[in-house]
Amino acid sequence: MEQGSMNAAVRLTVTQCFRTLASSADHKDVVAALQTLNSHLDDASQSNTTSAQREEFRRVHYSRTLQFLVSNIHSDWLHSLSAAHRRDLWDDLFVKGPPDQALLVLMDAITELRSSAGLDHLVSITERFLQSHRLADLLWSYCLRSAPSDSPQLRETLLGRISALPDITANKLHPNIRPLFLPQQYYSLLATEMLTALERTCQTLRGGTDCSLSFLAQTLGKVCIQGHSGPVLAVMAPRLSVCTRSDMVWQRVCWKLLENVPQRWMEVVLTGLVQAVSGPDALSRVIGNLALTNKTAQFILTHKLLLLQYKYETQVLKTILGYLAADRDRRPLLIQVVRSVSQAWANPSAVKHTPVEQQLYVSKAFLLSVSLLKDSDLQELRSDLLQCMLGGMQSHLDSSVVRIRNMGMVVGECVSSHVDINGTKLKFEYEKDEETRELLSLMTANTCDEPELVKGADSPDDTGQTSTSAQESVSQNKSDKTNPGSDLDSDDDLTPYDMSADQKMSRASSPRYLRDCLENLISSDDAERVELSLRVAESLVRRNVFAAKEISVQMTKVLLHMEDKFNTSGFLRLRQATMVALTVTDCVPVTQYLTTEFYSLNYSLRQRLDILEVLALAAQELYTPITDAKLLTPGAAACTELTRHPKNDPVHWRQAVEKRIQSKTKCISKGASQPAVKPCPNRYAPVAGYFFFPLLRNYDKPEVTFDLLGSDHLVLGRLIHTLGLFMHLAVNAPMAAQMGCALLDFVWAVRYHADQMVRRGVLFAVCSVFLSMPSQNILLDLSDQLFETRTWLADVAEGDPDADCRSLAMQSLVLLDKSLKKQLQDQQAQSLES
Amino acid sequence: MSLPAPHPIYTLRGAGGALNTLHFRCHGEDPHLLFSGSGKGSIHIWNLNSRRAEKVVEAHSGSSVTWVSTLQSTDTLISQGRDMQVCLWDLNEGRSELLESVWTGSVGFCQCSLLETSPTNYLLAFAAQQTEEIKIIELPSKNPVCTLTPKAKVGMVMCIKLWKTNSGLGPLLLAGYEDGSLLLWDVTQRAKLSQVRAHPEPVMCLTFDPRRLRGISGSSEKKLSSWTLDSQNNIQLQDDVTLVNPGVSQLCIREDGRILASAGWDDRVRIFSWKTLRPLAVLQYHTDMVLSVAFSDHQDPRQRLLAAGSKDQRISLWSIYNDGAGKG
Repeated sequence: MEQGSMNAAVRLTVTQCFRTLASSADHKDVVAALQTLNSHLDDASQSNTTSAQREEFRRVHYSRTLQFLVSNIHSDWLHSLSAAHRRDLWDDLFVKGPPDQALLVLMDAITELRSSAGLDHLVSITERFLQSHRLADLLWSYCLRSAPSDSPQLRETLLGRISALPDITANKLHPNIRPLFLPQQYYSLLATEMLTALERTCQTLRGGTDCSLSFLAQTLGKVCIQGHSGPVLAVMAPRLSVCTRSDMVWQRVCWKLLENVPQRWMEVVLTGLVQAVSGPDALSRVIGNLALTNKTAQFILTHKLLLLQYKYETQVLKTILGYLAADRDRRPLLIQVVRSVSQAWANPSAVKHTPVEQQLYVSKAFLLSVSLLKDSDLQELRSDLLQCMLGGMQSHLDSSVVRIRNMGMVVGECVSSHVDINGTKLKFEYEKDEETRELLSLMTANTCDEPELVKGADSPDDTGQTSTSAQESVSQNKSDKTNPGSDLDSDDDLTPYDMSADQKMSRASSPRYLRDCLENLISSDDAERVELSLRVAESLVRRNVFAAKEISVQMTKVLLHMEDKFNTSGFLRLRQATMVALTVTDCVPVTQYLTTEFYSLNYSLRQRLDILEVLALAAQELYTPITDAKLLTPGAAACTELTRHPKNDPVHWRQAVEKRIQSKTKCISKGASQPAVKPCPNRYAPVAGYFFFPLLRNYDKPEVTFDLLGSDHLVLGRLIHTLGLFMHLAVNAPMAAQMGCALLDFVWAVRYHADQMVRRGVLFAVCSVFLSMPSQNILLDLSDQLFETRTWLADVAEGDPDADCRSLAMQSLVLLDKSLKKQLQDQQAQSLES
Repeated sequence: MSLPAPHPIYTLRGAGGALNTLHFRCHGEDPHLLFSGSGKGSIHIWNLNSRRAEKVVEAHSGSSVTWVSTLQSTDTLISQGRDMQVCLWDLNEGRSELLESVWTGSVGFCQCSLLETSPTNYLLAFAAQQTEEIKIIELPSKNPVCTLTPKAKVGMVMCIKLWKTNSGLGPLLLAGYEDGSLLLWDVTQRAKLSQVRAHPEPVMCLTFDPRRLRGISGSSEKKLSSWTLDSQNNIQLQDDVTLVNPGVSQLCIREDGRILASAGWDDRVRIFSWKTLRPLAVLQYHTDMVLSVAFSDHQDPRQRLLAAGSKDQRISLWSIYNDGAGKG
């Protein structure tokens, strides 16, 4: 009863104040009413209100009061208040009352008000609200309430307001936003406030009172899901990792906080945290055994971050796996991870169909997890690992991508040496590049030395010292070096002469006639003679065109079947150069021979690839015009020769001066001074068909030794590349249109080939078709295919796992569009003219 | 930036045999001369002004001439032939008279070494009858000074170099032997000072720079081996220089100590910086093994020449790194 009357009294007072404020024009009345309202918030109670009344006011009337004030923000009495009064009486009402209600009213008001002086006023109140750490009070007030006293809707709204404050203000205030409302600053502030709330929680817990962390956890989750996990956790994670180092209460609070994060937001919080903490130890201190207690967390840590996503740094992998390995309870999870990662690594379909970056990521995870295994675990896993490793090695080595092969080799080596199969281990030869080195380093440096923040303070000192000492030693080195250097100086002016002619002597003389050369290549058993013959073969072919034409096919046959019996240096290059020279010299018969041999029986893959290479190089050589400088005027060559050797004679000196004069002089008629490019016939255009069409003939006829559409996709990829090259070089050739149609038909069958090299080749070929085919032919001859091709290209550009394929597809689309546009414009222009 | 490969400034032909040895005499006012000893036993005296053979001395009765030299003080020519004789010739006023001859008894190819101790006296070191034995005599008195025989088994003596230290010690002798060893002998003490195995193959030639106390030796393999003498007169092996083709028949350091020339079995003369042993040039002209190289002793450094004698019976003359400032 008494309670009821007290409530009524408070209500009456508040209503009276409202009425006064709404109607009275008297300055004194207004101030008095505001003071009355303020007295209900003031705890330092010189006022005449009881604590029960104040409680009632806070609970029921506070929001109403604030709303009333905001709605009257443009009224006269407010403007008539002095600045001090306004600050003490009006503004304080917002800052002193329950922070959750104040924040809600402020945010609503900011959303609703038009830009005006009133809005500015509210914005500065909000700023003051944030600066006076009311957010911490807000969060803390929710920590104290063990059971939620308000409705879930209200909580939800409040969460939304807290997490989206920068967005709300930005929507309204842009571009006059205060720096404090910018996301970077606000979320750092929010993180500090959350830490303050946690700190208070710890203190309270030590005092023996219970607290609830669910609202804090919800705030954290909400902020993270909105994409601000970076700035928030960048502030929180280091502090948490330091605080949990020795303090059990802090540890418990952290664990509780993360357990309370709602399931739907768990993932973002965890991923953010994993990236923000400095290492596995910090992570285990902060999240405890979350991976065991929470199914979602377990899935995220053991599966999603390792196998489904691959954008994270290696450090993240180290943190996660180190976390799993750190505790005895969590070790079963590590073993489970090793199993699943090794299976993912070895999966042949994954090797074929996932992007290289992901495979690299999985390989890293695999190596890291294996390196964390103990001997006892290894005993248990040995057979599984071995099986996965061997299967995985095979599928990796089958791949036509060098990076994947390297990955397979590195992982195979590392795992086999770690698993220790009776002391045997694999050893491969691969090029040590950045990537393989990084992979190798993962196995050795698994003892994560965590950079500790506590020690961070004195570390700059150390580095400063070491750097200065390093500098000293460098300068010492320098002085050491200069002393004997002065002795050497006088020697440096002896300019060396050209010593390129200083070759090894050989006893036998090189053959002078092409037929002798061929004879040597066929029958000689003398390593030296064969080598000499190989060395001169190309120049002999090029010099004696008629002799070469007589024996071109025979010589090509010999070279194609030749083996490097004597380990001649540069064997492949010499052989190839000679074959190219033969093809260029006697184009039609040799290409006929080579193209038929490409599909015939009993050749090794290497030989077939050689055929393709030779044809491609020959086509390129035929396509390049015979340059004047090279063949026609030896004088020019001599000139260039001279420029390489200054100080030689006065001729050169004069040239240098002339050059300098020319460079300093502005030539008005620049065009005339340079001789026009001399037109010369394209030697490739008339024979393009000989290179191109025979290679399309038998591709779908599998031989016993050669299955182009089956397992020999390496050759297929190269074949398509080569065809694309022929097409590209055939620009402006009369044959180009037919070639383009045929090539598009050909690649259509293999456009979704599983091997990415083949797909790349296909896209390259398509590119070159669009580049080289005359645009009118594209529209006329390919009209029925164009639509399908476009959809296919768009599909590839969007969804191919290989980045090169995507960009090539994009390029083809652009080329196609350009070509079509040009053609359509031309047609329009023609029709307009006519 | 490298300069184009150099060419010989002129060649001398007509020696009628392989050129085993070359010797310049260009310091006086007289016509500058080049002496060459051929495999047919004749010594040609080339006038470098007319570029013709001024005189041909038929010495050693048709046996190959392995070494020629002249005395600074008098117009005396010394030649060594495979008839086991060392002969002294008087060249005064266009004569070519045999003054003396010394029987060495050596059947090897080891060239003698000459050291002038005073204007009238000089020491001559030569390989003696026993294959590993070196004899030193004083000329013109022909008094034997000593005989040096190594105690260890090192094989035939291949090349020797007699020189005098600045430190006041008596003349020292460097000798290369068949098993690749280098020995340093003290002539006055008749004792071995130091020994080192410089090559796995016989030492074919050596040369020594007394100013730097540094020498270099060549062999039938692909590398030159350089070495220094330390203060205790120990031979210390230094860097190796690897050649493109094996075999060196003679090494020669220019008087100013800047460059080193090697006569290669691969028909080429190679020039190295003597300080750093950096290869500087490859002189290609000859069509057969180069057997000898020599630098001229012109007083004006700009006129200095390099001569190379080859088995193809020609002598090529080169002007290389000649201007005083060394501007190529």
